[in-house]
Amino acid sequence: MTAESAIAEPPAVMTAVAPRRRRAKLPLLNLVGAAIVSAAVLYVSFFPVAGLPALGAAFNPTTGAWTMAADAQVTDRMLHLSGLQQPVRVVLEKDGTAHVTARTDHDLFVATGYVHAKFRLFQMDLLRRQGAGRLSEIVGKVALDTDRFELQLGLLRTAELEWAQLPASDPLRDALLAYAQGVNDRITEAESTHQLDAMFTLLGYHPQPWTPVDSLLVKGDMTQTLNFTDTPLVMALLNKSLGTDLASEWFPILPPNQQAPYDPGPYGKVEPPQGIATMTAMTDAQSASAQAVYERLAALPAGLVSKGGASNNWAVAGAKSASGGALLAGDPHLHLTLPAIWFQLTQESPGFHTSGVSIPGTPGVLIGHNQHIAWSLTDAQNQQTFFYMEKEDSKTHPGMYFWNGAWRKYITVSYQIPVLGGATEHLTVKWSVHGPVISERGQTTSVWWSGNLPSQDLGVLMNAGRASNWQEFREALRGWYSPTHNFVYADDKGNIGLISAGYYPQVAKGQPWMPMPGTGEYDVTGTIPYDDIPQAYNPPDGIIWSANQRQVTSSYPYYIGTASNFFDPGYRANEIHRVLSQPGKLSASDMQALQTDTHDFLASEIVPVLLQSLSKEQLTPQESTIVQLLRNWDFRMEINSSAATIWSYFYGWYVYEVFNPWWKSRAVPVEMQEISDTLDQDLEAWTLHDPSNRAFSAPGVGSRSAADAQRAAFHKMIPQIAKDLGKDPNSWTWGRVHLRVLENLAEVKGLNYGPRPDRGDGRTPLAAGDYPSTHGPSWRMVVDWGSGTFQGIYPGGQSENPASDWYMDRVDTWFAGRLNPMLTAEQAVAAGGIRTWDMRP
Amino acid sequence: MGHAAVRRYVAIFLAALLALAGVLLGLWWAPFVIGVALGALDRRARVALPAGAAIGLLAWAIPLAVVHARYGLGPTAASLAAIMGFGHQGVVPVILTLLVGTLLGGSGAWLASGARASALSRNIGARHG
Repeated sequence: MTAESAIAEPPAVMTAVAPRRRRAKLPLLNLVGAAIVSAAVLYVSFFPVAGLPALGAAFNPTTGAWTMAADAQVTDRMLHLSGLQQPVRVVLEKDGTAHVTARTDHDLFVATGYVHAKFRLFQMDLLRRQGAGRLSEIVGKVALDTDRFELQLGLLRTAELEWAQLPASDPLRDALLAYAQGVNDRITEAESTHQLDAMFTLLGYHPQPWTPVDSLLVKGDMTQTLNFTDTPLVMALLNKSLGTDLASEWFPILPPNQQAPYDPGPYGKVEPPQGIATMTAMTDAQSASAQAVYERLAALPAGLVSKGGASNNWAVAGAKSASGGALLAGDPHLHLTLPAIWFQLTQESPGFHTSGVSIPGTPGVLIGHNQHIAWSLTDAQNQQTFFYMEKEDSKTHPGMYFWNGAWRKYITVSYQIPVLGGATEHLTVKWSVHGPVISERGQTTSVWWSGNLPSQDLGVLMNAGRASNWQEFREALRGWYSPTHNFVYADDKGNIGLISAGYYPQVAKGQPWMPMPGTGEYDVTGTIPYDDIPQAYNPPDGIIWSANQRQVTSSYPYYIGTASNFFDPGYRANEIHRVLSQPGKLSASDMQALQTDTHDFLASEIVPVLLQSLSKEQLTPQESTIVQLLRNWDFRMEINSSAATIWSYFYGWYVYEVFNPWWKSRAVPVEMQEISDTLDQDLEAWTLHDPSNRAFSAPGVGSRSAADAQRAAFHKMIPQIAKDLGKDPNSWTWGRVHLRVLENLAEVKGLNYGPRPDRGDGRTPLAAGDYPSTHGPSWRMVVDWGSGTFQGIYPGGQSENPASDWYMDRVDTWFAGRLNPMLTAEQAVAAGGIRTWDMRP
Repeated sequence: MGHAAVRRYVAIFLAALLALAGVLLGLWWAPFVIGVALGALDRRARVALPAGAAIGLLAWAIPLAVVHARYGLGPTAASLAAIMGFGHQGVVPVILTLLVGTLLGGSGAWLASGARASALSRNIGARHG
């Protein structure tokens, strides 16, 4: 052996040992690799990882999310429901509209619960979870702030009180129990057939049994969305920053612009409101407290704090109707979601003959008609939220507050909030006599909210749906508390009416539009007597309307809220009134056209003034084109209108031009957008009637008039539009900037509809504010008692299952402004294409 | 084809049927268990792993195909893709589904065959001392 070969070949003993070791190690390495891979596969199959659901449970084809394919198929069925007393028949139209026919009222609600749960169980579960502060349990700590706030606000507590206070003999009690039974029948069936909504599978949880309290929570959610407001906090901040004089002038109780109240009086009580003081300055501590609460509420997800409503309804008496019968139209404006908030159905039983839309989770029809009357509603907007600054002394009376001359202990309520992927949160909520404490930063602040008054509003609705004339309808609504609604009415005898039913809190004294001392003198003392609330029946001109505007004139003797955000600026109401007031008879198709009316009332007032202000200006060719477009405009916010875009940009700039210098110089901590409704009204009023108002001469801009501000805004907006849309004004069509999105309720963007160009804006009867617009007519209904025709449409579909043909099948019809006939069960059968479910006990 | 090979194919076929039955009964993890059993019978990973993977694939693919034949998978697949954040690329959840089934069967078989091979290796090592 040479030296080289000795180096090249290892010793014999080494060559014999090394491969044996390698061979011994290889199976072990193989096993370790297999174990690691298997563990990983099993882990991701059984447990959610990195935002993905547990893959095995979620995606297996037999019990996983793929079962939504089977769930999407709706066929004729015969099924047994344990809660039924008698057989029930459900007919489903081609578009899923459900007709429930039962031999007892109890069975009607069992079947309604089943049908709701079959098509909307996940939506129902989300709604009850929101109200009960249990969203974190399924989505993790991202929802913890929402859960804390909801439990603090007291929806769960109120729902439990309402259920506890419901007498055993009250028909609502049986309705809620029967409804819950029907929902639970469906949950049991869906569990056993593995056809729970896919979102349950993907989120990895199972729905708990439904209870009557859950239905009351859903009602609480709606009340909160529509009337829990932060406006007194906003007013406090405006008062502190702008000063009392400007705040009083710019944010008055009565609207500064011309509006069209539906109830002009005379009113039952003639004395002016007593004890309502003019706005006075706030202390630094009060302002700091208001700021703290305001910031907390501002950080909450959209929808938990009402930011002003937008809905329309009106009626035309038989005498003014082309058909000879009364007409009724209604389109409540809400967050437009997929699935929609509404589920369309008819309910037939010995006690009920209603057709319309219901809210899944609740047993009855909310808006619709029966054999004799039709009704719809808009939010009445009166102030139902009051903030109280509690007087405390932590040294001498810890854990207490001073009220009506004595120190009192707070009531405390404890909650556990389960959090997905985290520790359970413990929450203690303090209650004073005013309501829950929602902030202890600096100044302890509690909130009085009418949504916390236990009330049997669902029972009220059921009774209203059984009324056959105005007296019964009005009497049924006597028990309605919150949210206060404008209930429009039309019957088969040609009568029309409108009543703004609900709770109208009255305070003994103080400034209810701002946070008030909680020492007792400023408490809510009661409500306006029912006979004195805004209402009208068969008005002489044969028309009646509401669009969230202030319902009464300045001579109304009660405080019901300020112009600042509690009520709509009135442009939609003005436009509706303008159209309905025109001479001649009106038809159902006129009602339909008015629901999709895009005429901007404010534009029709302001644009002529702007053109006048520009009449002596030296204009560039581009500016001349813009002026010409405005001059030829019909004030309609149509998709192809360039003038609509110019108007929208202009008014935004005009508001900014006038108010922004004030905002800067006074360091106003409230976004102008937050109170744009009031600023719009102010500017409208000044432009038309007070063009030299001091507001135009803001600090730093010198003395100027409305016309000066208009010209400045006009010249400043053009570069902005050109930057956004190009140089040619003819190409600045409204559809390029104004889009509509229907948002998936579970916030899955891929399941949204849109964005799609749409007409209208926040001031037109076809309400479509914001960019993109996600709020608007959630249901349109037109009733003509003369011809006996009932029509309706909502954007979306009956099913929450995105794989279903009924997920968004109504959207195009809705976008086009068309309506579908609201059929009876017999008409639906005759129309064909139905599915039938025969339900047996 | 020898008797051993025939026995092997029969065993794989029966294992596939069992896995399929398990999945149809809602036991979506059955391919893993069947894969483990298969791997325990054959320590050769190059045989057990593909066989287990194929069983897993079939046990999940056949029910999925049945769903497609009965109801159509398109809208459901597109919806699942949207929920997962893949737009409306319905092919993504289909591939993911088949991949999970395949991995369950394959990993089970690999694990058991690896364990058996390791045990055998230790026995041989012990005998050769």
